[in-house]
Amino acid sequence: MKITRRTPRAEIPSMAMGDIAFNLIIFFVILARAQDDSHVRWTPTRAANVENPAPARVSVAIDVDNNRYLNGQPIGLSQLTGRIEELLRGVEADERVVQFKVHRDATTMVLEPTAEAIAKAGADVFVVVEEETQ
Amino acid sequence: MRIRRRNNLLVEPPSSATGDIAFNLVVFFLVCASVQPEKGIRLTIPSSETVEDKSQQSKHVEILLTRQTVALDGSFIDVDQLLPALEAKLRGKTREEDRVVVVKSSPDTPAHRWIRAVNAIKQARGVVTIQVEEERIVTIPE
Repeated sequence: MKITRRTPRAEIPSMAMGDIAFNLIIFFVILARAQDDSHVRWTPTRAANVENPAPARVSVAIDVDNNRYLNGQPIGLSQLTGRIEELLRGVEADERVVQFKVHRDATTMVLEPTAEAIAKAGADVFVVVEEETQ
Repeated sequence: MRIRRRNNLLVEPPSSATGDIAFNLVVFFLVCASVQPEKGIRLTIPSSETVEDKSQQSKHVEILLTRQTVALDGSFIDVDQLLPALEAKLRGKTREEDRVVVVKSSPDTPAHRWIRAVNAIKQARGVVTIQVEEERIVTIPE
């Protein structure tokens, strides 16, 4: 009598593949931020009676060396108003907000012209500060 | 012959996905804890205009900021006292043009002093106006 052996088949359990794919999607969505200015070195000013964050599509930063950044990219003062106007084209007046991150020891020689350039683009300035707890 | 039946009433649910569920929950809570909204101060700064007549400026409240000092209408004041002083100055003024507060600052004024002054103006319901000195080139005839 011939005994036929069944060839063993090893299958990788694929039940968790959906979960693995879901996790990877979440990781990459979180990491891919449109306004990545995490490389800008700055320390916020402390202030009291601050407001909740306003949704902002544009972020302007002044770092420890008084360098100016628009959405994480270096930019000159002369180009700032035009670029902000392009980024806020078609946005309603209430939503024209620019997030302004200024290093606490930066000088007004850089700060004021930057704030003026943002105002010229027809946007409100949302100065990011650290809430002072009393 | 006594037939013994197996009691298989205890049924264990499949636990192969428990590790994935726990991992997902950990990731969700980490993400929620790390995403902190940034608070701040919203300012509406009027667009710039050239003002030749200085007498019109003298009607408005003026704050002068330097590297070390803060002055309100010519009187030195501590930045923490700025809010009550501004509230007293702006009391009774209902029109927006009467609530304009002009902020002048020397080029080496630190940003934290400027931000705190502007925050005080906003809390006193004043209108923040930045005064910037304009440079002019004057050619003197020989």
